[in-house]
Amino acid sequence: MAATEVEQGEGRQGHYAGSVTRLVAFGADVGISWGLFTLGVAALAFTIQLASGTKFSVSNYQIAYLVAAVIWEFIYFAYQWALGGRTIGMALLGIRVVKTDGSPIGARQAVVRTVTLPLSIIVFGLGFLGILTNRRRYAWHDRFAKTAVVYSWDARAARLRWLARKDPASPT
Amino acid sequence: MEAIDIDALVDRVDVDKIIDRVDVEKIIDRVDVDALIDRVDVDKIIDRVDVDSLMEKTELGAIIARSTTGVTSELLDVIRAQGVGLDDFFARWANRILRRSPADLPLGPPTLVDVAPGQAELQSEAA
Repeated sequence: MAATEVEQGEGRQGHYAGSVTRLVAFGADVGISWGLFTLGVAALAFTIQLASGTKFSVSNYQIAYLVAAVIWEFIYFAYQWALGGRTIGMALLGIRVVKTDGSPIGARQAVVRTVTLPLSIIVFGLGFLGILTNRRRYAWHDRFAKTAVVYSWDARAARLRWLARKDPASPT
Repeated sequence: MEAIDIDALVDRVDVDKIIDRVDVEKIIDRVDVDALIDRVDVDKIIDRVDVDSLMEKTELGAIIARSTTGVTSELLDVIRAQGVGLDDFFARWANRILRRSPADLPLGPPTLVDVAPGQAELQSEAA
């Protein structure tokens, strides 16, 4: 079963990534970034409570909490895209962001992509529709930042790994 | 009393000849192995074993790490492959609705994919 599953992605390295992979990666990133943020806030609240001796509740600082969340999300996406063209979720799903010509993206494009990403979401997610309808699978934030998302996952190597695991003695 | 030269005496003893005359099998038969084992304090021996150094020498840690990595990468391969399969499914439907041929679509950015639009079909036919 796994062999055919792996074969589906055979030789896709560098091809435009599809909608499901991109949305699952984005979902994973949202989950991971919020998980980390919540952990950070809990740790901060605990430290303040320990140092001051009084009960600290985040709900009393909702605006600060919102601002911190926005800054954190910006750092999470922009820093990772600028650093290696991929976030944790994208790395898990085997995709990465590149310039439209295929070269690695820089810090400026990572920032533009991060700032315009909410635009794709807030208009009822219409910005993501381009992944299905556009010839190059560009979402709105890809158009703004002049980026593309491609598969970085080497399915051919994955298939060889799977075959090696299946029968280590057999010649390749 | 005249002193006995032990070394000289030992030198004259033919040890090999004595060993030849010893019936080792008979001696082993006379040994009560169970009683011997009963007298051994296994816990004390285990306490003296340096497990960490043993792990390092046998590379057991590396073996465990390797097998864990194998399972993780296999799981990732399956998830990614499922994703690619679903990507293709939705892309096929989108192409059908938009009435466009997949062969006319670019596969990827020019520096990453050296196949021009329209050649993808020919390539897949050749394969």
